[in-house]
Amino acid sequence: MFRLLYRCHSPLKPYRRFFSSTRTYLAEAHPTSSNVIHEIEQDGARILQAVRKRIKVRDELLANMSEDMSSPEDIARARQIKELEPLHEAWSSWTHARQSLEETLPLMQDPDPTMRTLASEEFSSLAHTLSTHISATFPSLLVPPSSTRDLHALLELKAGVGGSEAALFLLDLLRVYVRYAGSVGWRTSIIQSSETESGGMRDAILEIKGEGAYDALRWESGVHRVQRVPATESSGRTHTSTVAVIVLPLSEEAESIGGNDELFKMEDVKVEVMRARGAGGQVGFLFSCRVIDFDHRHQHVNKTESAVRLTHTPTGITVSMQDERSQHQNKRRAFQVLRARLMDVKLSRDIANRRATRRNLVRTADRSEKIRTYNYAQDRVTDHRIGLSLMNLTSFLEGDGVQDFLDALRRNWQEEIMEDVVGESE
Amino acid sequence: MRTSDSVKHLFARLVSSLGRATATREFKWMKQALIPSHSLTLPAMLQRRLSGEPLQYILGTTPFGPLDLLTRPPTLIPRPETEDWTLRLADMLSPTPHRPLTVLDLCTGTGCIPLLLCHLWPPGSTRAYGLDISKDAIRLAMDNAARCNIPSSQPSSLTPYSQNVFIPVLGDLRDPDVFKYLLPPFDIITANPPYIPKREYDELPISVKDYEDPAALLGDPPDSEEQDGLTYYRLISQLLRQKGMLRDGSIVALEVGRAQADAVEGILQQSAGLRNTQVWKDPWNVKRVVLART
Repeated sequence: MFRLLYRCHSPLKPYRRFFSSTRTYLAEAHPTSSNVIHEIEQDGARILQAVRKRIKVRDELLANMSEDMSSPEDIARARQIKELEPLHEAWSSWTHARQSLEETLPLMQDPDPTMRTLASEEFSSLAHTLSTHISATFPSLLVPPSSTRDLHALLELKAGVGGSEAALFLLDLLRVYVRYAGSVGWRTSIIQSSETESGGMRDAILEIKGEGAYDALRWESGVHRVQRVPATESSGRTHTSTVAVIVLPLSEEAESIGGNDELFKMEDVKVEVMRARGAGGQVGFLFSCRVIDFDHRHQHVNKTESAVRLTHTPTGITVSMQDERSQHQNKRRAFQVLRARLMDVKLSRDIANRRATRRNLVRTADRSEKIRTYNYAQDRVTDHRIGLSLMNLTSFLEGDGVQDFLDALRRNWQEEIMEDVVGESE
Repeated sequence: MRTSDSVKHLFARLVSSLGRATATREFKWMKQALIPSHSLTLPAMLQRRLSGEPLQYILGTTPFGPLDLLTRPPTLIPRPETEDWTLRLADMLSPTPHRPLTVLDLCTGTGCIPLLLCHLWPPGSTRAYGLDISKDAIRLAMDNAARCNIPSSQPSSLTPYSQNVFIPVLGDLRDPDVFKYLLPPFDIITANPPYIPKREYDELPISVKDYEDPAALLGDPPDSEEQDGLTYYRLISQLLRQKGMLRDGSIVALEVGRAQADAVEGILQQSAGLRNTQVWKDPWNVKRVVLART
């Protein structure tokens, strides 16, 4: 699909060539089959390093066990060794497969064609085993299950610099996420949007219902920058505009109105409901048109106002919702967004607390940081955090290009965690 | 081309009437309500809105809590104030099929109050009656019951309750015979009666008065001596005073107009003998409901 996958040098973090986890290593496709081991190992360098460190720790623990294995230290060591057993087994199977692969290589040049065929089949199977270790087996043993794996997501998009061009780009990005969610089988709905006269959107909130939506999309948070000639620009000058994306965690319970839970106390939330100014009830509904007269507007049109605003006093977070006709619905939506924002605050705090106890820091992107550039003139999308560029913008905006970024970012995150786990045990 | 031009022009007029934000939202809701084969067109909707017709009549529905109720002229459009206190009332009580409640809603209109209670309370826990003097209202209440999947006919007394029931009844609350069809005593009596005094009603612009039934708004008959908008509260109090209307521990909830709460509290205490009263404010901090317990 992409014309080229290549690495660009990022000042932030070097990133080796990226392979999708589904890549298969076919002997026929590789004139130099012996390079395959090297390629797989280079591909999984960070993971292998993390595994080797753990195996070394296990070896040391074994070496330090005393003869009778009865001291309290021994018991602690025995427990650690036991915990490392599954990883040790995986490592043994990796080493074994690697060994077998090396032994298979000479047979692929065998004069007997039957032998060559057998060797070639063996080669494919072993190469697959090795790449599966890198893409799945080792990460599953080293990356603890995500505590947010069940969560749905709310995507908040806000047009930044660039005026109406930013609003148009916001719509482009929104479509990318809606289409991506649809392809995964997640349900989406735009729960808030403000359209501009030029046909774009100043801001939007997209609800994505599907388990794992938050974990998959969380790395989309940050500033997305577009460089292109706006459709409205007659002189053909390239403009730079930005859209800020924030991905918030959404739980199933977030839909209930009110209630005290771990995220907030009801007494800390100020609920304000808008209504056409007037006395309310049977009278006020009709009186509203008089307000319009006061505003020097003509026409006796009574207003419909269903907006709801929540203010969470301890954090100062405010949420306004007005897109639904029903105040009840707007309130439900507002509480949903409030919960998502508060959960986001909580998760960020948890990460910060954990990080403070570590030597190996996991760098997470600041939301005001520019994370990605969409350059139309060069037909290229670049993620600045991992230095990954993909050619063919159209496949990103209208195809499934976003998947490659999500995969790469998830993998980068997993590798950081694996390195981190090793750091902890040192 | 012609149509889109006229839509553009009409929308611009709506913006100058309502302000951009409200006009944009209403326009969006109109587009959502469009049914391709339907005779309702976007320019027609905009025209009607510009001439002052309530959006709820144009779209034909209004949200009421989680319900989406039908609205048809001239039956009073359910207000957010009523939605708020009905939700609060529903929250306050928890009937069960073993301890069911009988509800009477006076001046039921669209049927919004009893329908929301029937919707929110567990199946088989609620039997509700809605009384209204207007045929239009009773027809609409029946249609709304069907829309909400709530049966609107008397279940056979032999079968146990498995569903909540809402029965709209055409009748005048001043007519003593009406209670031959209803079955007191009631656990809950609710009402959003007409409560606007004549002098306030007169000040309402004609273009708006044209749409909703004056009988659902005017608090006093024209020939009434008192013109304070409280006639219906006096009538309801006489009803409540009758033997066998209420049970021990029954609840009465009456919506009131601006600055009427204290007077209605007084009427309930003196004329109906309900001493245990309290007043609920609406979300806009206006005293909106008088609540009484036996």
